[in-house]
Amino acid sequence: MPTDSLLAGTPLSGLPHGEWHPLFWAAVTLGLYLFARAVHQRHARWWTSPLLLTWALCFGLAEALHTTYGDYIKGTHWLLTLLGPATVAFATPIYEQRAMIRRHWPILVVAIMAGTAIAIGSSWALASALGLSPALRLSLLPRSVSTPFAIAFAENVGGIPELAATCVVITGLLGASLGDVLLKWLPLRSSLARGALFGMGAHGVGTARARLVGAEEGSIAGLVMVLAGLTSVLIAPVIALFMR
Amino acid sequence: MLRRTNILLSRNRLPQVAALITLWWGCDALVRAMSLPVPGGVLGMAVLLLLLATGGIPSAWVRRGSAGLLDHMLLFFAPATMALLDHPELFSLTGLKILAVIVVGTLLVMVGTALAVEACFRWRGRNAD
Repeated sequence: MPTDSLLAGTPLSGLPHGEWHPLFWAAVTLGLYLFARAVHQRHARWWTSPLLLTWALCFGLAEALHTTYGDYIKGTHWLLTLLGPATVAFATPIYEQRAMIRRHWPILVVAIMAGTAIAIGSSWALASALGLSPALRLSLLPRSVSTPFAIAFAENVGGIPELAATCVVITGLLGASLGDVLLKWLPLRSSLARGALFGMGAHGVGTARARLVGAEEGSIAGLVMVLAGLTSVLIAPVIALFMR
Repeated sequence: MLRRTNILLSRNRLPQVAALITLWWGCDALVRAMSLPVPGGVLGMAVLLLLLATGGIPSAWVRRGSAGLLDHMLLFFAPATMALLDHPELFSLTGLKILAVIVVGTLLVMVGTALAVEACFRWRGRNAD
């Protein structure tokens, strides 16, 4: 619980004891995010990834203040809502890559079909082998696709959307680093393969990393990420049928 | 008047973001009202793609706003990761198992996808000669 002395004289002090103003957490999240971005610009390491750093700092603070997720999300839900408009925004890069889509569409279809099948199949098989609960298993299925799609997918098949989103984020963070290592090991000649590796395996975070490898890799990764997300949303009702 | 609208929309990021939010909001309302099986954002993306492809709107009207929203996408999903606050059980063996699923699964996806694309690429290269 926050102490009253900390709040004395601030606009926050008028609230019932032990409760933060809902916008407090929005301000904290925004502030930590800007801080994390600044740190990442100076020291680009995997552990300074803005998302990881924001999460770690925010989580530490929330734990220290004994805040529940319910309290936290009250003031920050609007940020999650912005994922909707962000999904709409994906139309622009897709439109701008239309020439590349026309040239390479058969390969893109192969990449997305192979990637989606392996992603869902491996999540299911590994989670079952390790004896995870059905709700966890379902929340792990969409972890390779971008968050807005993953949340839609989890809602559809009966997973826990927030948990699915968390798995997506962890996948992105680990995947971007794993991708770097894999590029050194795999004999990949085409920029298509390098881009697809990042876009399919580590969605948004991977796409950002692929942009550093090369411009073509970056746009392929972004395209594969969006198309894989769309595919998973479209096949979610089918998978939901099998899960029942 | 039209020229001025064009300049205003092409140069400024905020009206573009506002336009994208409005488009999403409309599509989301439609999805809810008709209980369609796709998320509002995905419908909005399809609508915007159609508008761009048919020349209904120039891409300069949404380019900056889209880049802005996509650049900060990490911020938008930061709140979802805080769900771990309510799942302390994940900081245990279960959490390690989830991590194992993610690491092994992601390696399989990456290697599988990259090799499939590379195989296609080389096959096409051989056949084109």
